[in-house]
Amino acid sequence: MPLAGSQLSAAKRPKWHYITVGVLLIVVTVTLTVGWQFLGVSDAWRAKEMTTLRWVVYFLGTVLFLLLIGGLVLIVYLLVREVRINERQSNFVSAVTHELKTPVASLKLYLDTLQMRNLPESRRDDFYRTMRADLDRLNATINNVLNAAMYTDRPVVDPQPLDLARLVRRAVDLTRTRHQLPRESFAYVGPESLRLRGDAQALETAVLNLLDNAVKYSKEKVEVEVEVGADGDGQAHLRVRDHGIGMSRAHLRFVFNRFYRIGAEVRRSHTGTGLGLFIVKSVVKGHRGTVAAESAGPDRGSTFTVTLPGIIEPAAEEGATEEVAG
Amino acid sequence: MTTRILIVEDEAHLAAGIRFNLEAEGYDAEVEADGARALSRLAVSDPAAAFDLVILDVMLPGVDGFAVADAMRQAGNFTPVLMLTAKSLAEDVVHGLEAGADDYLAKPFDLGVLLARVKGLLRRRDWARGDSGNLATARVGDAEVDFRKFEVRTRGQTFRLTLLEAMLLKLLVQNAGHVVSKGEILQKVWNLSPDTETRAVDNFVVRLRRYVEADPRSPKHLQTVRGAGYRLVLEA
Repeated sequence: MPLAGSQLSAAKRPKWHYITVGVLLIVVTVTLTVGWQFLGVSDAWRAKEMTTLRWVVYFLGTVLFLLLIGGLVLIVYLLVREVRINERQSNFVSAVTHELKTPVASLKLYLDTLQMRNLPESRRDDFYRTMRADLDRLNATINNVLNAAMYTDRPVVDPQPLDLARLVRRAVDLTRTRHQLPRESFAYVGPESLRLRGDAQALETAVLNLLDNAVKYSKEKVEVEVEVGADGDGQAHLRVRDHGIGMSRAHLRFVFNRFYRIGAEVRRSHTGTGLGLFIVKSVVKGHRGTVAAESAGPDRGSTFTVTLPGIIEPAAEEGATEEVAG
Repeated sequence: MTTRILIVEDEAHLAAGIRFNLEAEGYDAEVEADGARALSRLAVSDPAAAFDLVILDVMLPGVDGFAVADAMRQAGNFTPVLMLTAKSLAEDVVHGLEAGADDYLAKPFDLGVLLARVKGLLRRRDWARGDSGNLATARVGDAEVDFRKFEVRTRGQTFRLTLLEAMLLKLLVQNAGHVVSKGEILQKVWNLSPDTETRAVDNFVVRLRRYVEADPRSPKHLQTVRGAGYRLVLEA
């Protein structure tokens, strides 16, 4: 009998047993505490034999028991967190391994093929195109991993004036070219120019990640609305709305977590490392802004909204000499 | 008749590259990009449409490669499976083999190695089946082994053998009466280095005992020789 798939994955998760043990220990301690109060103290209480010493023992005992329970709860909580992080990390290793090795495997296969066989010119051109696409994918994964390391917990040190509207429009153009999409697949709504202070390169990375996701999780037809605007209180917002596969409420809370990917890694349905939205969040946090995800449910599209402080009012600006986002 | 190979791989570039090379070698190759569709493709009972070999990726959308191999075996499909995966840890190799794969190749692989493995698996299948005139049937005690059909018949029951089970049994039958070491088995049947740390051989021996022994717990035919390996005794 071959080993069933479920057995394989079950063998990889013995950690959950520790958590069960922890929870059982908490239950036992709580029972002991309650039992001790009843058995040890209530008799003395009823017999009116509560001496000062007994009061002290009673008080100390209760405090110690509560400490014990509190400690156990803390340990179990930390354990659960540790297990979650561990699982996400092993998912990440698995995803990155796949994202790095797949294009390398493809490149090697096509190189071997080119070397081994006599191919007509047209076929060789096909293969070169395939290899180019693999190289691009490899490069994108490497950039993702590097960006994630670069933007984690790092506030923008020296914010420079930049034009968010222009930056977003350029990112839209770039995404359209990269994915070879028609003009009408993206609709841009927003002002011609919206200036704020920030790190142009970091913001461009974040915006590109949002747009790439919108394309990646679209169904056959890509329809993405991109909106940029000023909220009036010195804050700018960027909204990216797609009509793709969406997600259930349960996932919304976690999508910005590092290495978080929906579904089991071994049954992956989309390429990726689980870093894209984490980078978005890190960059936005570095700008002291916010980012939120909304979705009406699976198959009903997703909307990502970023707000950024630091708009430069046109009147307050002293000339346009510092422009960076050009 | 051409040899038909099914490539189950969701990465379009790899699938196309493998297919191109298999076709260049004269095989008839087809591609399926997800596990569930591959399973329904493989479930076709028409022998003319049957595949001779499956090249199976582990990371697939929907049903993963381990589950596909497992479901194939459960459904009585013993087509040789060559598993491809980006993970190359020894434990993953063993996982794959235990799930029912017959051979295993880590990505990235050499084209030459892939083609050799494909050829090797088809040859091993022919060898296990006894197509080339060698051993086609054997009798182990009460059990009747038919290597052409990958079947063991005993006490009114019929057991289907996987390629690896058949190969292990055949290796033992061919060396009947002699001790075969675990290292030799790993090398000849699994294509692994003789010093690989795995319980796979022991697990397979336990399975084979269920087929050929009247009482698998006190084996008379398939004996463990402590510290040396295994010995098959045809008549106990």
